[in-house]
Amino acid sequence: MQRDLGSFPLPPGIRIKLIGSGFQSAEDLSGVRASELSKELGISKEEALEILQIVRREASGEESQQSVGLPSVRKYTALELLEQEHSQGSIVTFCSALDEILGGGVPIGKIMEICGAPGVGKTQLSIQLVVDAQIPECFGGLDGESVYIDTEGSFIVDRVTDVAHAAVHHCHLIAEASQDEVQREAAQAFSVSSILSHIYYFRCHDYVELLAQVHLLPDFLAEHRKVKIVVIDSIAFPFRHNLEDLSLRTRLLNGLAQQLISMANDHSVAVVLINQMTTRFGQVQSALVPALGESWGHAATIRLILRWEGKLRFASLYKSPSQKEATVPYRITSFGFRDVQPADPPSASPVNGDNPRKRLRTEDEDGQ
Amino acid sequence: MVFLREGICPGATAQLIQALKDQNVVTVMHLVSADVEDLAQKCSVSYKTLVAVRRVLLAQYSPFPSNGADLYEELLGSTAILSTGNQKLDSLLDSGLYTGELTEFVGAPGTGKTQVCLSLAVNISCELKQKVLYIDSTGGLTASRLLHLIQNQVDGVEGQSEALQRIEVVRVFEVYRLLDILQDLRMSFTRQVSGARSSVKAVVIDSVSAVLSSILGGHQLEGDKLCRPGHWWGCEASSRTLVELRSQHSHPAPAQDRRSGSAFREAQCNYTEIISAAYQNKHRV
Repeated sequence: MQRDLGSFPLPPGIRIKLIGSGFQSAEDLSGVRASELSKELGISKEEALEILQIVRREASGEESQQSVGLPSVRKYTALELLEQEHSQGSIVTFCSALDEILGGGVPIGKIMEICGAPGVGKTQLSIQLVVDAQIPECFGGLDGESVYIDTEGSFIVDRVTDVAHAAVHHCHLIAEASQDEVQREAAQAFSVSSILSHIYYFRCHDYVELLAQVHLLPDFLAEHRKVKIVVIDSIAFPFRHNLEDLSLRTRLLNGLAQQLISMANDHSVAVVLINQMTTRFGQVQSALVPALGESWGHAATIRLILRWEGKLRFASLYKSPSQKEATVPYRITSFGFRDVQPADPPSASPVNGDNPRKRLRTEDEDGQ
Repeated sequence: MVFLREGICPGATAQLIQALKDQNVVTVMHLVSADVEDLAQKCSVSYKTLVAVRRVLLAQYSPFPSNGADLYEELLGSTAILSTGNQKLDSLLDSGLYTGELTEFVGAPGTGKTQVCLSLAVNISCELKQKVLYIDSTGGLTASRLLHLIQNQVDGVEGQSEALQRIEVVRVFEVYRLLDILQDLRMSFTRQVSGARSSVKAVVIDSVSAVLSSILGGHQLEGDKLCRPGHWWGCEASSRTLVELRSQHSHPAPAQDRRSGSAFREAQCNYTEIISAAYQNKHRV
């Protein structure tokens, strides 16, 4: 079957030369040897050999598993995929209402985007998630490690320590209540220092560093097979500043999205991206919408929008291929990201006082 | 544009080709449209050989005209209409998806394109009991959602798992991989015995623009002249393969696309041009 030469991953200069010399399809190159090709195109013999390898390897059939650098693609039936999904699990958020609308938690192998206005709790949720990914399996977690890519500098280690303490305490309580040996052992091993030592932190200062880091991430994940979540906080910040060429931005973002989803799929990790909000001006009124443009809206598989309503915070599942759209309230406590307690005594007032940005740590607050 | 090369047909020796090249007759088109007597004199080649070569090339490279009535009969015999499972959608598509046609779903994020693709894959697998190839490039396919949709149509675990097995899923996140998959599909069709029941009846690609959007959209301002033709080769190549797939093997291929933002408006007009261009090309060689 004729396959156009333009559909092979060849450099554009080589492609022009091939077309100029009359080679249109893979069949035209079938009888040609490397020496002849190099003479006709005026390129070195090594390059000619490489071209022939690419073209012939792809054209020779489906069983070419060891292709030039690109991993082979497997076909699954939907039944096999279902079994795979059941075994993969998801990462809990410690807010049971949110876990329910997400279908159990943040799913593995998909990109989830968290958008929200400043101060609503995006970084808090991501810190909770990097801690929760490490919960041992007997407590319902994934016993994994976490990668945190920070572009804004909002990763405060003291806060992570507090959240980790609360998670460890929670697991200890469960282990004591249930008297199960396995759980007790796991609770012993699960400590604040073990949590902190398994969070891999990368700091990127601009979009070039971020792109480079994402490019190198697959190799990192291949070495550290236990990583279960990759958080990029935030993906909007480096792309909104110092990048005037918007079409370049769109292309870079789309390429980044494809790299991330392919990484999520190949290495079975959950990718969480934090996005900011921007204002869209309408005819009559303006609305707050996620930043980075319309086309970025297609990149994430799942989109969660966090917002304020008065003094309460709400999380809305805005886009998901397998769950219904829903909104749940949540709150941020000193222990992390938690549910809103339905039967709160009136004395424990909402955490935020007059200034919604400051979260006061009150003693009369019973977090979980 | 087929270049004249040694061995292109019996009688085309290296000498002849070289002589023709010296006279600026480089492609088959040039040879066929040139004055043979004149050319024979200038190349100092015998008139008979040149005429013979010209005749063979004409026979090899010209398309056969076909009768409109024959085409119609062929179309009637080979087209099947696959229902999407949604009555209103079927009436919009004139009773369903036609084999041999490319259907495109376009929409803003969150409007339900993936859901439409999933439900039509499920419908084809459950109701029509045909195989579907689902090419996923966004990660939007969750097998539990497929099961959910199947459970609404089929009772019993046996039937449900059979329906799940008829849906083949491939995950590609890169345009060359997508083209490889499509090429493999073409090869598998040509190799199959005619009338094989277990062949794929529909190909769903969710979504085409996810793999193409990182290549499209650069301006000439980048200063690289080679960029311009290189830019939408990807779009061109994939749409050409899609078009050839559908016209040669008559099965429907709904490709999901996402159009938003100015970068894609350019791609949009190019896309439709390319489909018509590719379709014309198909009949040339």
